[in-house]
Amino acid sequence: MNTINHTLKREEFFIELYKKAFPIVAKFIANRGGNFNEAKDIFHDALVIYYEKNVAGSLPVNTNETAYLVGIAKHLWFKRFNNNVSNISLDDFDVADINITEEASAQRIINFLEKSGRKCMELLKSFYYDKQPLTEIAELYGFSGIRSATVQKYKCLEKIRESIKQKALQYEDFME
Amino acid sequence: MKTLWNETARIEAYIFGSYGIADSLVFKANLLLDPDLAEKVSYQNKTYTIIQKYGREQVKIEIDLIHQKLFTLPEHSSFRQKIKQLFTKQ
Repeated sequence: MNTINHTLKREEFFIELYKKAFPIVAKFIANRGGNFNEAKDIFHDALVIYYEKNVAGSLPVNTNETAYLVGIAKHLWFKRFNNNVSNISLDDFDVADINITEEASAQRIINFLEKSGRKCMELLKSFYYDKQPLTEIAELYGFSGIRSATVQKYKCLEKIRESIKQKALQYEDFME
Repeated sequence: MKTLWNETARIEAYIFGSYGIADSLVFKANLLLDPDLAEKVSYQNKTYTIIQKYGREQVKIEIDLIHQKLFTLPEHSSFRQKIKQLFTKQ
């Protein structure tokens, strides 16, 4: 089972990948006239994509992690270069179902939820984004067991859903 | 229909496609009869999108912090030099 969905494990995992793969990505981008900040941005986006694929269990079997990560970074670089887009978006890659007109409203809603519902957002992130097992979530958040963690997860989901509804009425483009 | 303990869980089962054909049809029939339920499905979908976006932002913040460590702490100076050389050759 995956363990990198845990914050401390994730840090070790990212540092190891950084040390192994960033020199290769940086060399590739430097050789093509890119600068340090471009290499950094591309690499960070590649790490996020690699992480999401890893926790979702959608990496190909027997993947060489460094080679795969470098492959994602090269893909992002070519995409940026070919499209002549100065600021590539992670949302272009896959997963997120959100369009540009929704983007600003979504960000405002997140800013609001970070203040008013941070605890719930963290719990929901652990489950839906980091794909952390409910047993670990129960331990991490101090619930008595899986059942209690499940109940809390749905309570939070409902609470956040209702908050989003309230805010979306203010940001009409979000629900178009 | 599966016994899911609350409506939010039932909406989730429908959105994630974890219902069988029969349960899914029952749910769809309920959607037609109940506009409030349809609205909740729509907002719950948006909620998953928001959680996904929030998750990405948080991971990016973690990665930025790691970057800062690697490019400032003395124990990573050889790594730092290796990278800097790549961009000073240009």
